Amino acid sequence: MRLRFSRKTLGIPYAVFLLFFVIIPMLVIIFYAFTDKEMHISFENFIRFFSDPTKLSTIVYSLVIALITTAVCLLIAYPVAYILARSKMKKKFVILLLFVTPMWINFVLRVNAIRELLNWIGLLGEANYFNTIFGMVYDFLPFMILPLYTTLLKIDESLYEASADLGGNTFTTFTRITLPLSMPGIASGITMVFLPSMTNYVVSDMLGNSKVTIIGKFIYEYFGTNWHMGSMVALILLIVVFLSTWLTGGFKEESTARGTNNL
Amino acid sequence: MKKRRISALLLAAVATLPTISILAGCNSDSEIVLRVYNWEEYIDEGGEDSWDGDPDAPDMTTRFEEWYEEQYGTPIRVEYSTFGTNEDMYNQLKLGNEYDLLCPSEYMIMKLAAEDYLEPYDESFFDASKEENYYIRNVSPYIRQMFESNRINKEDPEDDSTWSDYAAGYMWGVTGFIYNTEYVDAADLPELGWNIMTEQAYRNRVTTKDNVRDSYFVALAILYKDEIAALDKTADDYTQKLAEIMNRTDDETIAKVEEVMREMDENIYGYETDTGKADIVSGRIWLNFAWSGDAVYAMDLAEEEDGVGLNFFIPEECANLWFDGWVMPKGANKQAAQAFVNFLSMPENAIRNMYYIGYSGVIAGEEVFDYVCETYAVDPEEYESEEEFLANTTTYDLSYFFGDAVEDATFIADREQAESRQLYAHYPPKAVTHRCAVMDYYGEEANENINELWSRIKGETLETWAIAVICAGVALVIAGVLLVKFGGKIDFFRLPPKKGYKRVKQEEVKKY
Repeated sequence: MRLRFSRKTLGIPYAVFLLFFVIIPMLVIIFYAFTDKEMHISFENFIRFFSDPTKLSTIVYSLVIALITTAVCLLIAYPVAYILARSKMKKKFVILLLFVTPMWINFVLRVNAIRELLNWIGLLGEANYFNTIFGMVYDFLPFMILPLYTTLLKIDESLYEASADLGGNTFTTFTRITLPLSMPGIASGITMVFLPSMTNYVVSDMLGNSKVTIIGKFIYEYFGTNWHMGSMVALILLIVVFLSTWLTGGFKEESTARGTNNL
Repeated sequence: MKKRRISALLLAAVATLPTISILAGCNSDSEIVLRVYNWEEYIDEGGEDSWDGDPDAPDMTTRFEEWYEEQYGTPIRVEYSTFGTNEDMYNQLKLGNEYDLLCPSEYMIMKLAAEDYLEPYDESFFDASKEENYYIRNVSPYIRQMFESNRINKEDPEDDSTWSDYAAGYMWGVTGFIYNTEYVDAADLPELGWNIMTEQAYRNRVTTKDNVRDSYFVALAILYKDEIAALDKTADDYTQKLAEIMNRTDDETIAKVEEVMREMDENIYGYETDTGKADIVSGRIWLNFAWSGDAVYAMDLAEEEDGVGLNFFIPEECANLWFDGWVMPKGANKQAAQAFVNFLSMPENAIRNMYYIGYSGVIAGEEVFDYVCETYAVDPEEYESEEEFLANTTTYDLSYFFGDAVEDATFIADREQAESRQLYAHYPPKAVTHRCAVMDYYGEEANENINELWSRIKGETLETWAIAVICAGVALVIAGVLLVKFGGKIDFFRLPPKKGYKRVKQEEVKKY
């Protein structure tokens, strides 16, 4: 007898997983965000968040830190990925590997190492915001390089030939072919760097001596004392991230090869 | 809270130990299970670093299992788990996790008692005539008096039960500053007191704890410095008066504390939970606000690495006295839980724990005193002349702590040790503990206010107009992106077609 599974049956484990680890937790967060300590429905946390200049300032700072981190990552990663994808080098995977290797080392160790390095240069404690961004760029760079590299690698060689045939110079080729076709890679790179740079408070604690506060730290601290406010902050962060993902086109399914149409 | 927090890596390794012992334990029907919930790295975990120094030395829970079975004839299994902060522990308890024995700090014990989570100790637990009641037979009279004189539920004036009704002590200590003797002149410190934190000369060279209660205490001490100094230290009600000042949480105080905390925030190098020890040993910072147990650890470390000279300073005005104690939540197996507390209170076990974790235990008694002497007493014959001996040593008196358990609780100690180093931090002299105040549980409303104050200090500050401008900017960006995305579908936003071209309607495009 042959065992046959319909697509529906095969999907059950995933559906269960999504239900228990994504949907239900999300509903719990929403529930906690809109209740008070006596578990009554309340908008108090919402109002308190938006009437407190500290919380708004912190979310703005986090946004700015995350934007700068993402921009710097993109600026560093794009040329690297481009050179690696387009070059005829034989051993280029070694270089790629070198960029990605830090990801295999424990995160705490890496941050500690950066801390020692900054201490040695003399920046530790002197430039907290710079240190935080520096650490984040270092930590999240591989997340930007990898998606860029894979999309750039996928671009059909014949497109470059066509561009050259039609008299396009290097700049035109880049703006008309490479850049539009690598948009999906840029979008997924941005998503993968942006979110952790808003929440990864280990970096800001260790390298900014806890003097830099990002929104993730707020969530952590509130979950020690007031889950309702913590959930509200988490929910607002979720919305911010959702918006930014949507704006960068991270939700589009078939943007892979057609990015051009929108530009 | 007063725990030495080692790097996450080590913790992860350590955390697996109890799990393994749980897995190894076999299940049988008659077996009792004791669920202990304690701070990370807050008990003798056996092995090479333990008192015995033997890699195979069993941990404290295994020793307890053997002892209990021998004593009471029933097998017992300890399910040991750990937490990192008092708040984590509280959340776990609130979520419905069940334990038999917890080890929170004093204010959390008070909070739990106020919220009616706790089971009182049996009266028989305090019967010193029974041999197995090691806790009451060995606890230091100083700690005992502390536990019997502090009311546990300050929210309810009717309730006059004290800490000792619900809690048995485990570890205790004070707060102060570790300082680098190379950069900091010890003579400057007494006058500054807690104002070290706002002193310009130490700008960017001093740290505080990334923890609201400790920083609030420091700010209070700075704020009410003059009032504290004016208190008569010899008066009978000195301790009460000091405690009243150091537990103020009225709105006016909070508003003033906010200003002090801003000043601190401007001046300090940073907030830390476990990087402070490394930073002071490496010489990066000069002063580190620390719990006494951490101070001992840092000074030991600095000695081993022969890097910097570190000393410990406890401000003249006042210091924070803290305790971690064992409490039983409702529904606990009281018999087994109390047996565990008694087992830990056997002097030899108290020494094992103290040796392993580096904090000061609440247990007094001959053996503990011998251990202290062994660690800190000096041999007069090591000094070449009488003058040298007199100049470098002092008589250290710990009779307030050991009470009747030791006939004469004094010994000759190195002067530096006694005045500013490990001994001073490990077992502070009476003069220090006399000026210590306990930080109570603030009560729910005050707690909330202070947490909000903390988030204002820690969070970023922008002028309102700046927030408005940035929000407007974000809105513009969103609008811009929307325009690029959907603007193409609205004729108004589309550029006019070039000469000779005709605009194609969206519907026509779809046809192809």
